[in-house]
Amino acid sequence: MKFFKKGQIEKIVERLAEKADVFVPMLRGQQSGFFSWKSYDENYDDIIFDLLNVYSPPKNIILPQTEKMYSFDQQGQETIIKPEEIPVEPKVIFGIRSCDVKAIEYMDEVFLTRTFVDEYYKARRDQVAIVANACYNPGTNCFCKSMGVDHLNPEAADVILREVENGYVWESKTDKGDILTKQVEDLLEDQEVELYQPNRFVRKVNYDGVAEKLKDLFDHPMWERYSDPCQTCGICTYMCPTCYCFDVQVKNWGDEGYRFRCWDSCMYREYTLMAGGHNPREAAKERFRNRFLHKLQFFNERYGTPLCTGCGRCIVTCPAGVDIIRMIELIKEAEPSV
Amino acid sequence: MNYTEQIREIASRLLESGQVDMVMAWEKGAFDYQSLPYVARSREDIDKIIFDDYSVHNLSTSLLRYRDSNEKIAIVVKGCDSRGLIRLLEDNQISRDRLYIIGICCSGVLDPLQAMINNSGFSRAKETPGPAAKCATCIQPNPVIYDELIGEPQEARNPGERFEEVNEIENMTVQERREFFEDIFSRCIRCYACRQACVACDCRTCIFEETRPQWVGRETSISDNMMYHMVRSMHMAGRCIDCGECERVCPMGIPLMLINRKLIKEVDRLYGPYEAGMVYVEGQKPPFSVYDEKDPDDFI
Repeated sequence: MKFFKKGQIEKIVERLAEKADVFVPMLRGQQSGFFSWKSYDENYDDIIFDLLNVYSPPKNIILPQTEKMYSFDQQGQETIIKPEEIPVEPKVIFGIRSCDVKAIEYMDEVFLTRTFVDEYYKARRDQVAIVANACYNPGTNCFCKSMGVDHLNPEAADVILREVENGYVWESKTDKGDILTKQVEDLLEDQEVELYQPNRFVRKVNYDGVAEKLKDLFDHPMWERYSDPCQTCGICTYMCPTCYCFDVQVKNWGDEGYRFRCWDSCMYREYTLMAGGHNPREAAKERFRNRFLHKLQFFNERYGTPLCTGCGRCIVTCPAGVDIIRMIELIKEAEPSV
Repeated sequence: MNYTEQIREIASRLLESGQVDMVMAWEKGAFDYQSLPYVARSREDIDKIIFDDYSVHNLSTSLLRYRDSNEKIAIVVKGCDSRGLIRLLEDNQISRDRLYIIGICCSGVLDPLQAMINNSGFSRAKETPGPAAKCATCIQPNPVIYDELIGEPQEARNPGERFEEVNEIENMTVQERREFFEDIFSRCIRCYACRQACVACDCRTCIFEETRPQWVGRETSISDNMMYHMVRSMHMAGRCIDCGECERVCPMGIPLMLINRKLIKEVDRLYGPYEAGMVYVEGQKPPFSVYDEKDPDDFI
């Protein structure tokens, strides 16, 4: 087994940062997210490998919240289009949890499979190596196991770290992982260490049959009822590691400008607003319903899994206390209306 | 503070007699430290109603959902929330005779959102937090409008310290202020939770959703973010009722009440004495809803 002591972790990150932009979970003042090691300020930032997870998910590393696509310049009869060059610097997401690794697998499905490859996504994704931090101590609102996530063996990880007494076990899983291992080889020791027994999950939910059942619940009165507290802000969707919806927008000054895409949210009025002024999802009820149907039914119909990895962020961050575990339970209890 | 029994009694009286169609209150979530907005519509729902220390939300905002309908609504409001009702009445968003107002004299609430974060592994703080930040300088713990009152009137909390942080910012140099605001607004993820939680945001179509023209860009860049927050805060002038919900719900910890309080202070100085939503006089309008020839214009 390859092993390193806890005190070595910053050295490991530093070594990896010689060849890549390494993103590390940090508390930065009021913010909590993955930040580039290049921007690390030891007097201000707090690295949190010892906490459960960060508040803002790492999806922005592969799918930036705002991403330029191309710029244009109209010169007389001619339009000059300049594609945006995507930086080709290798990146490492270091210390990402299994739920968030699974979320990247789901985004890969969306952006790279089913006949269409999104070049912007692919360019960034290809550069990313994933060093995951296996979860031996699930949090109060974690339910990844219920959503089919293996919290100890994240599939898409290139390297898996396992926290043990005094240190971490380093397990390379892929060719990309082997390259990273070579870089830090002299910092790793060969040592047999005992792995922890994982703690039990506090919260669980049974997703079996939910996708099928939802087919008959579109007009069920429960949506009105359970959307009562929802204020249709975008927190649940922007804090979700799997929500990938984006809008394509333009900025221009006279004849020149650029087109960009930016995260969008099904909670917003503009998301479904049509050119003629009609909005099929006018109120909280319709938007709230769509969010759960996309996560629990539609995505499953297309990709065979729910679009939820049980990270618990939406439960923790919803200002109105909407709880997806409770929603799944209520869906299971609901009597289909006639 | 636990007024569950009193509110259930009132709710069952109102729902059973048909005096109201719904009662807006709270229910308990998955944890002791979680209460969430709840609408009781029938007798069977009454047992779910609660009011405890975690009943932090300003429910008056939710009345906007019913502005086009006819239901009669009973609503539970704390002191600050009740000021929101006055704002809605002044803006003709809902008529007084559709409301039955259950007022709570509030001794301060706790924030379930902060408690959820502290207890879920996302924070170094493990303990359940103390009083909600928004209650620290409360000028109006008692409802300013009600049909029925619960609890003993409470004293304002540290009203003298209300503008302390505003004064600190005012004392900065222009450069320092610019850096301060760039730092806080660069964090914004444009989730619009501050707008959605706000009772003063009662426009049917928000300027930030306009597409023709698109007044404010959708990029999360410092310039679009600054524009968003500048417009949002200016629209709060004379309307903010100091309920603190915008700042409480912000997932990025942006000190929105600091900005709102600056506007409260300036409106009071220029058009005052004025404090939004303190007293309901039919037909009365807040400063920025009317034009007066004597309005100051020396800044133009």
